[in-house]
Amino acid sequence: MPYYQTWEEFARAAEKLYLTDPMKVRVVLKYRHCDGNLCIKVTDNAVCLQYKTDQAQDVKKIEKLHGKLMRLMVSKETHSGAMETD
Amino acid sequence: MVLLENDSFLTELTRLFQKCRTSGSVVITLKKYDGRTKPVPRKGQSESFEPADNKCLLRASDGKKKISTVVSTKEVIKFQMAYSNLLRAHMDGLKKKDKKSKSKKTKATQ
Repeated sequence: MPYYQTWEEFARAAEKLYLTDPMKVRVVLKYRHCDGNLCIKVTDNAVCLQYKTDQAQDVKKIEKLHGKLMRLMVSKETHSGAMETD
Repeated sequence: MVLLENDSFLTELTRLFQKCRTSGSVVITLKKYDGRTKPVPRKGQSESFEPADNKCLLRASDGKKKISTVVSTKEVIKFQMAYSNLLRAHMDGLKKKDKKSKSKKTKATQ
Protein backbone atom coordinates (compact mmCIF):
# COMPACT_ATOMS: atom_id res chain seq x y z
CA MET A 1 0.00 0.00 0.00
CA PRO A 2 1.51 3.33 -0.99
CA TYR A 3 1.89 6.30 1.28
CA TYR A 4 -0.78 8.96 1.27
CA GLN A 5 0.35 12.25 -0.22
CA THR A 6 -1.92 14.51 1.77
CA TRP A 7 -2.63 14.44 5.47
CA GLU A 8 -6.33 15.28 5.13
CA GLU A 9 -6.98 12.29 2.91
CA PHE A 10 -5.07 10.01 5.23
CA ALA A 11 -6.84 11.21 8.36
CA ARG A 12 -10.24 10.75 6.79
CA ALA A 13 -9.46 7.27 5.51
CA ALA A 14 -7.93 6.25 8.85
CA GLU A 15 -10.99 7.25 10.85
CA LYS A 16 -13.28 5.54 8.38
CA LEU A 17 -11.26 2.34 8.55
CA TYR A 18 -11.27 2.41 12.33
CA LEU A 19 -15.03 2.80 12.47
CA THR A 20 -15.67 -0.16 10.17
CA ASP A 21 -14.27 -2.58 12.75
CA PRO A 22 -12.78 -1.03 15.88
CA MET A 23 -11.60 -4.34 17.36
CA LYS A 24 -9.45 -5.21 14.38
CA VAL A 25 -7.70 -1.96 13.73
CA ARG A 26 -4.30 -1.03 15.12
CA VAL A 27 -2.44 2.22 14.84
CA VAL A 28 1.33 2.12 14.59
CA LEU A 29 3.57 5.11 15.08
CA LYS A 30 7.19 4.84 14.06
CA TYR A 31 9.73 7.51 14.86
CA ARG A 32 13.35 7.56 13.74
CA HIS A 33 15.32 10.31 15.32
CA CYS A 34 18.55 9.65 13.43
CA ASP A 35 16.83 9.93 10.04
CA GLY A 36 14.38 12.54 11.23
CA ASN A 37 11.23 10.92 10.01
CA LEU A 38 7.91 9.88 11.43
CA CYS A 39 5.49 7.37 9.99
CA ILE A 40 1.95 6.51 10.99
CA LYS A 41 0.19 3.37 9.87
CA VAL A 42 -3.43 2.33 10.37
CA THR A 43 -4.31 -1.21 9.42
CA ASP A 44 -6.85 -3.97 9.97
CA ASN A 45 -4.65 -6.62 8.34
CA ALA A 46 -6.58 -6.32 5.09
CA VAL A 47 -6.31 -2.63 4.35
CA CYS A 48 -3.22 -0.69 5.27
CA LEU A 49 -3.02 3.08 5.30
CA GLN A 50 0.29 4.86 5.71
CA TYR A 51 1.56 8.39 5.97
CA LYS A 52 5.16 9.44 6.26
CA THR A 53 6.67 12.79 7.01
CA ASP A 54 9.88 14.59 7.86
CA GLN A 55 8.24 17.90 8.71
CA ALA A 56 8.06 19.07 12.30
CA GLN A 57 4.67 20.66 11.70
CA ASP A 58 3.15 17.24 11.01
CA VAL A 59 4.04 15.91 14.46
CA LYS A 60 1.20 17.88 15.98
CA LYS A 61 -1.33 16.59 13.46
CA ILE A 62 -0.22 13.00 13.81
CA GLU A 63 -0.20 13.17 17.57
CA LYS A 64 -3.67 14.74 17.48
CA LEU A 65 -5.11 11.96 15.35
CA HIS A 66 -3.42 9.40 17.55
CA GLY A 67 -5.05 10.94 20.59
CA LYS A 68 -8.40 11.15 18.88
CA LEU A 69 -8.34 7.48 18.02
CA MET A 70 -7.28 6.67 21.57
CA ARG A 71 -10.25 8.55 22.94
CA LEU A 72 -12.54 6.76 20.51
CA MET A 73 -11.17 3.43 21.67
CA VAL A 74 -11.93 4.07 25.31
CA SER A 75 -15.29 5.69 24.76
CA LYS A 76 -18.09 3.22 25.35
CA GLU A 77 -20.16 4.00 22.32
CA THR A 78 -17.79 3.66 19.44
CA HIS A 79 -20.25 5.07 16.98
CA SER A 80 -20.95 8.21 18.95
CA GLY A 81 -20.88 11.63 17.42
CA ALA A 82 -17.22 12.01 18.26
CA MET A 83 -16.25 11.87 14.62
CA GLU A 84 -18.57 14.71 13.73
CA THR A 85 -16.45 17.24 15.53
CA ASP A 86 -13.27 18.60 14.07
CA MET B 1 6.28 -7.92 27.04
CA VAL B 2 6.07 -6.06 30.28
CA LEU B 3 2.68 -4.71 31.26
CA LEU B 4 3.19 -1.48 33.15
CA GLU B 5 1.09 1.04 34.98
CA ASN B 6 0.31 4.19 33.02
CA ASP B 7 2.83 6.33 34.83
CA SER B 8 5.70 3.92 34.66
CA PHE B 9 4.91 3.29 31.00
CA LEU B 10 5.47 6.95 30.29
CA THR B 11 8.75 6.91 32.19
CA GLU B 12 9.94 3.87 30.26
CA LEU B 13 8.78 5.39 26.99
CA THR B 14 10.88 8.46 27.71
CA ARG B 15 13.82 6.16 28.23
CA LEU B 16 13.16 4.44 24.91
CA PHE B 17 13.12 7.78 23.09
CA GLN B 18 16.38 8.79 24.70
CA LYS B 19 17.98 5.50 23.81
CA CYS B 20 16.98 5.81 20.17
CA ARG B 21 18.32 9.30 19.62
CA THR B 22 21.48 8.21 17.86
CA SER B 23 20.25 5.09 16.10
CA GLY B 24 17.20 2.89 15.83
CA SER B 25 13.53 3.70 15.90
CA VAL B 26 10.72 3.80 18.39
CA VAL B 27 7.53 1.99 17.44
CA ILE B 28 4.29 2.68 19.29
CA THR B 29 1.20 0.59 18.66
CA LEU B 30 -2.29 1.55 19.72
CA LYS B 31 -5.18 -0.86 19.72
CA LYS B 32 -8.63 -1.18 21.18
CA TYR B 33 -8.63 -3.73 23.98
CA ASP B 34 -11.58 -5.61 25.47
CA GLY B 35 -9.73 -7.30 28.32
CA ARG B 36 -9.63 -10.71 26.67
CA THR B 37 -6.74 -12.91 27.83
CA LYS B 38 -7.89 -16.20 26.30
CA PRO B 39 -8.68 -16.95 22.67
CA VAL B 40 -12.24 -16.77 21.39
CA PRO B 41 -13.81 -20.19 22.02
CA ARG B 42 -14.81 -22.37 19.11
CA LYS B 43 -18.40 -22.51 18.00
CA GLY B 44 -20.82 -24.27 20.31
CA GLN B 45 -18.73 -23.74 23.39
CA SER B 46 -19.98 -21.51 26.11
CA GLU B 47 -18.06 -18.42 27.00
CA SER B 48 -18.08 -16.83 30.39
CA PHE B 49 -16.00 -13.89 29.23
CA GLU B 50 -17.69 -10.56 28.77
CA PRO B 51 -15.80 -8.10 26.63
CA ALA B 52 -15.33 -4.68 28.13
CA ASP B 53 -15.75 -1.86 25.70
CA ASN B 54 -13.71 0.88 27.15
CA LYS B 55 -10.03 0.13 27.15
CA CYS B 56 -7.11 0.54 24.86
CA LEU B 57 -3.77 -1.14 24.73
CA LEU B 58 -0.61 0.79 24.07
CA ARG B 59 2.62 -0.94 23.19
CA ALA B 60 6.03 0.52 22.61
CA SER B 61 9.25 -1.02 21.40
CA ASP B 62 12.72 -0.11 20.17
CA GLY B 63 13.19 -3.49 18.54
CA LYS B 64 14.55 -5.14 21.66
CA LYS B 65 12.76 -3.93 24.70
CA LYS B 66 8.98 -4.12 24.76
CA ILE B 67 6.64 -2.33 27.10
CA SER B 68 2.88 -2.04 27.21
CA THR B 69 0.08 -0.50 29.17
CA VAL B 70 -3.70 -0.57 29.29
CA VAL B 71 -5.54 2.74 29.42
CA SER B 72 -9.14 2.83 30.58
CA THR B 73 -11.81 5.52 30.38
CA LYS B 74 -11.10 6.88 33.83
CA GLU B 75 -7.44 7.55 33.17
CA VAL B 76 -7.56 8.51 29.54
CA ILE B 77 -7.71 12.28 29.90
CA LYS B 78 -4.90 12.50 32.38
CA PHE B 79 -2.80 9.96 30.54
CA GLN B 80 -3.31 11.55 27.20
CA MET B 81 -2.14 14.95 28.33
CA ALA B 82 1.09 13.55 29.65
CA TYR B 83 1.46 11.28 26.64
CA SER B 84 0.95 14.04 24.07
CA ASN B 85 3.47 16.24 25.79
CA LEU B 86 5.95 13.40 25.83
CA LEU B 87 5.52 12.70 22.13
CA ARG B 88 5.83 16.33 21.16
CA ALA B 89 8.87 16.78 23.33
CA HIS B 90 10.70 13.81 21.93
CA MET B 91 9.76 13.93 18.27
CA ASP B 92 11.92 16.95 17.72
CA GLY B 93 14.26 15.62 15.07
CA LEU B 94 12.13 16.60 12.11
CA LYS B 95 12.60 19.46 9.70
CA LYS B 96 11.29 22.82 10.68
CA LYS B 97 9.06 24.69 8.28
CA ASP B 98 11.46 25.96 5.64
CA LYS B 99 9.56 29.17 5.02
CA LYS B 100 12.54 31.32 5.86
CA SER B 101 14.96 29.57 3.58
CA LYS B 102 12.42 29.70 0.76
CA SER B 103 11.81 33.39 1.15
CA LYS B 104 15.54 33.95 1.26
CA LYS B 105 15.96 32.01 -1.95
CA THR B 106 13.26 33.96 -3.74
CA LYS B 107 14.83 37.17 -2.58
CA ALA B 108 18.20 36.08 -3.82
CA THR B 109 16.86 35.28 -7.25
CA GLN B 110 15.04 38.57 -7.58
